[in-house]
Amino acid sequence: MKVVAKNLNFTYSPKTKGLSFRALDNVNVEIKEGEIFGIIGKTGSGKSTFVQHINGLIKVQKGGGALKVGDYDLTDKKCDYKSLRAKVGMMFQYPEHQLFAETVFEDVAFALKNFAKDISAEEIAARVKEALSTVGLDYNEVKDKSPFDLSGGQKRRVAIAGVIVAKPEILVLDEPAAGLDPKGKREFLELLLRLHKDYVKTIIIVSHDMNLVAEYCTRAAVFSGGKIIATGTPKEIFSDKNIIEKSGLDLPLTAALTEKLKSKGIITDSDFTVEDFTEKLIVALKNGGKIR
Amino acid sequence: MRDVSFGSYFPSNSFVHKMDARAKILIAIAYMVAVFLVSAFHFLGFAACLLFVILATVVSKVPFLRVLKSVRTIIFFVVFSAILQLFFNKKGTVVFWVITDVGLLNAGFIIARIMLIVLGASLLTLTTSPVELADGIEGLLCPLKWIKFPVHEFALIMSIALRFIPTLIDETDRIIKAQKARGADFESGNIFKRAKALIPVLIPLLISSFRRADELADAMDSRCYAGSKTRTRYKKLRFTFRDLIGVLVVAGLIVGIVYLNGFYALNSLAEIAGAL
Amino acid sequence: MPILEVKNVSFSYGQKEKALKGVSFSVEKGEFLAIVGHNGSGKSTLAKLLNGLLKPTGGEVVVDGFSSNDKNAVFEIRKRVGMVFQNPDNQLIASIVEDDIAFGPENLGVAREEIGKRIDFALHAVGMEDFRKATPERLSGGQKQRIAIAGVLALKPQVLVLDESTAMLDPQGRKEIAAVIDNLRKSGVSVIAITHYMDEAVKADKVLVLDRGLVALSGTPKQVFSQKAALDALGLEQPLAGIIADKLRAQGAKIPENVITEEELLGAL
Repeated sequence: MKVVAKNLNFTYSPKTKGLSFRALDNVNVEIKEGEIFGIIGKTGSGKSTFVQHINGLIKVQKGGGALKVGDYDLTDKKCDYKSLRAKVGMMFQYPEHQLFAETVFEDVAFALKNFAKDISAEEIAARVKEALSTVGLDYNEVKDKSPFDLSGGQKRRVAIAGVIVAKPEILVLDEPAAGLDPKGKREFLELLLRLHKDYVKTIIIVSHDMNLVAEYCTRAAVFSGGKIIATGTPKEIFSDKNIIEKSGLDLPLTAALTEKLKSKGIITDSDFTVEDFTEKLIVALKNGGKIR
Repeated sequence: MRDVSFGSYFPSNSFVHKMDARAKILIAIAYMVAVFLVSAFHFLGFAACLLFVILATVVSKVPFLRVLKSVRTIIFFVVFSAILQLFFNKKGTVVFWVITDVGLLNAGFIIARIMLIVLGASLLTLTTSPVELADGIEGLLCPLKWIKFPVHEFALIMSIALRFIPTLIDETDRIIKAQKARGADFESGNIFKRAKALIPVLIPLLISSFRRADELADAMDSRCYAGSKTRTRYKKLRFTFRDLIGVLVVAGLIVGIVYLNGFYALNSLAEIAGAL
Repeated sequence: MPILEVKNVSFSYGQKEKALKGVSFSVEKGEFLAIVGHNGSGKSTLAKLLNGLLKPTGGEVVVDGFSSNDKNAVFEIRKRVGMVFQNPDNQLIASIVEDDIAFGPENLGVAREEIGKRIDFALHAVGMEDFRKATPERLSGGQKQRIAIAGVLALKPQVLVLDESTAMLDPQGRKEIAAVIDNLRKSGVSVIAITHYMDEAVKADKVLVLDRGLVALSGTPKQVFSQKAALDALGLEQPLAGIIADKLRAQGAKIPENVITEEELLGAL
């Protein structure tokens, strides 16, 4: 499923003077199947408003442009949002804050029961088991526990399982690593790659963490004042001074280092992932005779 | 980003804003009493009340539209009460279909009464910040300390509740969205189904409220909160000439209405006497 | 003499395993101490022990001569050790900025005129003078957190404890808080920051790594963050510059062991 937005506009409180706020301003973007797509920009630049359009949590306004997700036309009044949401999973910041059921099993099964009314009990059990083991939890150990008795990290995993259990094709994550300790963050990112490999096709990440974007995203869109001011690979975005200045974003460390090393004539280029950056740097150091 | 017009504070430096919250609350209560004192069908009394609200609005520098907007939230209630009167009041003579002249007058009377009360109440909240309001209520409740009523704690709870309303509205919004993304449906089904659908929203909301309460308690403790005993107040309420003027005006309003009521009563007495 | 001393402090919530098992350290006037550790290492418990929100079950915390074991000293300790928490929304109690900042001094029974001065002082210290009459809900996360800090500064504390106070902020907000910390240190206030962000801890004078209720590592940021193997074992990681330096070193590049920041890495190259 592709996401295609054409001239997408959105205004909060359009009729109230003073309170009215244009959150999206002619947004054009195409997110292809299979991408890990980054949505970046400062707080209030329109990122959240945009991603919430993708599964119809915010509906396209009249005359607000066009938005298609796969075959779903979100400007169509008859658009079936429920089946769309089954295919576009969305995880908000601190997803563990939406746990509610008495047992982990019930909580994870919630989405399944909502999306497929006639699903059998065996199938539910099988899917819940699969989702829990995907996020690295032992089904038999946790299924009957209250989600509120788990540790913070486990709660977050249960919450993720509760989203991916519906087997969405697109997974939208809003600031997914917020509040995790370094180890939790590392494990979460590994999980993300695993999910992308064999669970969900497309991942869309809203994040303030430029190091994460440089490392994991295939492409990204830069939001600023409700507009997308640039779309491209992390390399294209972070090597364009204009974009960085206009959007007020920080550079990922690898990009900052690359730029400074370039000006010293030590290396010529890198794609800003840690691996590629160190590789290029090692080659340069070897050529310069600093490593033998 | 939300449009909450009823009861939201409109900051300004006007005469009314600078008045003592206690005086404003008392005046608002007196004004409402005045509205209720207007006896049946004597719309001149309502005109006097309306004049009072308009005057207060002008002096408070709050735009008229802001004040009027507060009525919007209760318009359904007003229309509903008016319709009840229109269609079910059987007194008087029929003027049109089932509608009687008394029904018509009663409907008008009810609309006028509710609207005037809401206008007055919203003017109070528009010109008095929640904190001042809580302080004002605390001040007015002070005599209750004699019967060991925890006035200070009561006022503090109230102002904290006011402070957290917008936070909790945002939180509810977030949780609803998260559950909708998991396929929750809040719009279809009968009333029981819909009530049940709210569980996945209410439980996380409850849990987060407890968490917030815990953290707030720690934050208050950290800032040396120890009850009301040795506390001082940064903002002291002070009764000034402004408050005196306000009290005099509202007293005038009440006297006027009572006088009008008496005048009408005398008139009808005279009529009866004449007929005898 | 240190302003705050933690002497062999232990703590347990009921019968469960102890959350802290004998922690000792001290903080000097104007010093910046970062405390890191994975979730469940005892960091937040430690924070709450520093200003008497919790009482140690063993050992003592001494602040400016007042001991946590002295029942009558708890407010003296809280006056001196201010605490800012993670979620700014959950620590602002009033709907107007100046009223919120007044809360602490009001509790102490400070006179009205003095409260006014303290509000001026606190707002100035966090650079929020223009927001005195503002409503917190209209502010950004970083601004709200600065107001929360101002609310604590109005008590004129000698130590400011930040318990993961930047965890919910965006990069802009984190920069704002970092600038406030810099300012405070210049004015002689000691700062203890509990954080998950290694690049924040790098800026401290001293770093303390907690693990399962014990101090696992401590020292200057350079000393602590150059120990890759130890950090890995503790569920932590080096700042990214340190990680890159390490990879280069593994390939034979001559980069000193204690390179942990961008500038140092550039210098070494």
